[in-house]
Amino acid sequence: MTANAKRTGPLSRLYAKFGISGPVTPVLLAAAIGVPWLPGEFWTHVGTEVLILGLFAMSFNLLYGYMGQISFGHAAFFGVGAYATAMLFTALKGADGQIGVADFLLSLLVGPPVAALTALFVGFFCVRLTGIYFAILTLAFGELLFYIVFSWYSFTKGDDGIQGLLPPPFFQDSTNFYFFTLAIVVVAAAAMWRITESPFGYAMRTLRDNQRRAAFLGTNVRAHMLANFVIAGAFAGVAGALWGPFSRSVNPTLLGWGESGIAVFMTLIGGAGSFIGPMLGSVIYTMLQAVVKMYTVYWPLTIGTIILLIVLFAPGGILGMIDKRVQATRARDGAAEAEAAAAARAEAPRP
Amino acid sequence: MDIAPYALQLFSGLSRAMVLFLLSAGLSLIFGVMNILNFAHATLWLLSGYVTFSIFTFLGQQFGASPWMLVPAIAGAVAVMALVGFALERFLIRHTYDRELPEQLLLTFALVLILGDVIKLIWGLENRRINLGVRPIEMLDTLVNPYQFVIIGTGVAVAVGLWLFLHRTRLGKIVRAAVYSRSMVSALGIPIPKIYALVFALGVGLAALAGGVFLPLLPMALGVDLDIIVQCFAVVVIGGFGSMLGTFVASIIVGVVYSFSILFWPDGALAMIFLIVIAVLIVRPWGLFGTELRY
Repeated sequence: MTANAKRTGPLSRLYAKFGISGPVTPVLLAAAIGVPWLPGEFWTHVGTEVLILGLFAMSFNLLYGYMGQISFGHAAFFGVGAYATAMLFTALKGADGQIGVADFLLSLLVGPPVAALTALFVGFFCVRLTGIYFAILTLAFGELLFYIVFSWYSFTKGDDGIQGLLPPPFFQDSTNFYFFTLAIVVVAAAAMWRITESPFGYAMRTLRDNQRRAAFLGTNVRAHMLANFVIAGAFAGVAGALWGPFSRSVNPTLLGWGESGIAVFMTLIGGAGSFIGPMLGSVIYTMLQAVVKMYTVYWPLTIGTIILLIVLFAPGGILGMIDKRVQATRARDGAAEAEAAAAARAEAPRP
Repeated sequence: MDIAPYALQLFSGLSRAMVLFLLSAGLSLIFGVMNILNFAHATLWLLSGYVTFSIFTFLGQQFGASPWMLVPAIAGAVAVMALVGFALERFLIRHTYDRELPEQLLLTFALVLILGDVIKLIWGLENRRINLGVRPIEMLDTLVNPYQFVIIGTGVAVAVGLWLFLHRTRLGKIVRAAVYSRSMVSALGIPIPKIYALVFALGVGLAALAGGVFLPLLPMALGVDLDIIVQCFAVVVIGGFGSMLGTFVASIIVGVVYSFSILFWPDGALAMIFLIVIAVLIVRPWGLFGTELRY
């Protein structure tokens, strides 16, 4: 009876319906809405970064968690999206450095399609390979794009980056920009959720588990992988478009493999097996970084040790670990319940 | 035609190629035998550079400074780093053999971050370099640092030695067999865990040698490892995983292309290398000299 009562709470129902992402997402969302009421602008700023990088990591997980391929060049699409927005932004802003709201929104809109087009080109070659070769080819394309942006001074301003991306006055307020980002990230995440729960999303899961079987079932494996690659690139572009106005500048390192690594780390920490895992990973990674960097320059040592411990002791990430616990508990409760029912049946008088 | 700048670039390209070869040979062996792509390989190389520097300085204080002290310093660093490699395999990497590829990558990537900061903790932010005080010699109308020939000679000697080891010794043949089929080697009663530890120690030892011979040419600086490791990946992919000959040829391609690109497009030298990698992966994913077997 108690087991039964425990499983009728709203979070339990969400778990039954959506898996571990079900109960975690509303908790994260509630926390996200509360962030601007924390004292000081600092946490609002960190919160915006959490959201943007979390969206980036979630787009990466479309490749890793749902397609089973690890990309070390995913930041290329984040960076290309950021540069596309930054360049249009610079072209549209007035001589006084001010930009109108409509022009600002227009410059944000250009990031995702440019990122998607780049992903279409890169993905065309990458989806022919899997495993280590996929990882290295994405790395090579990412680095190639990095060096093009880095050295094409007349077009991209090279390693100086593009500065002075000051959004319109309304968005300069950190709380307003935070809620603006939150709204975009929620919409983007909902769109991604819809995609992963569609027949297309399930086809991705099939070919993740066994490409040959998926092909036997009539799935066009390459075309599905390419479509997924482009979708992941487009959402990375959404995150990239937000990055420029957020940090007021863009620079070539946004395309480098260090940035790609961040998405990998966040996904691993949060848990690649669940939809919301990478966002939780971003919460942990970004906030930890903000705090640790206040006290020490040895941030790489800290995050390296955390990753080492997670790989060794919690292979599914934090949500994977929790999910395993919950499943074990539910299985135990279920078994106990079945036993009680069997006992009740045994006690009942036979007809 | 003035050949001086080209000769200069050729020699610096070849010495760069040899350093890349020493690193990539270990990387390729480790991947071939253990199926582990060691992201931390160049970081271990960097660490061994600092270790060599410290031993060299120590020996200089004890017995008087001399360029020849570099030889025992490198030998010492190779021994230390081979032990470090052995310990890493024993205590960390061993636990990930039955894991998925991304988790293995992340474990060695975590080592990149940790070891990078360990170097920073021990040696600080200052770049380290050994100045041997060799005088440049004149040849082909230009001045060439003769130490480059030492590096090229070391690289060729190691290549020959590795070839002899892999083709003429029992242990080497076991290692080569393990590249093709680990389970078969294991079924023949050969203790695979020992082979793994040995290969990892050998790979790291080669990296340490590369770090040592590199020191008099260019300073060791934090962060260089990240540039070098992606170039090593390029070498291994171009040559083909597990193929020593491929690794050797690809090192020369990458080293020479890099140093000649510097003449024409200084910022884009690495872009050229990634273009080659992309071309190879698209046309022949198993590399120039690799076999389709592993692909």
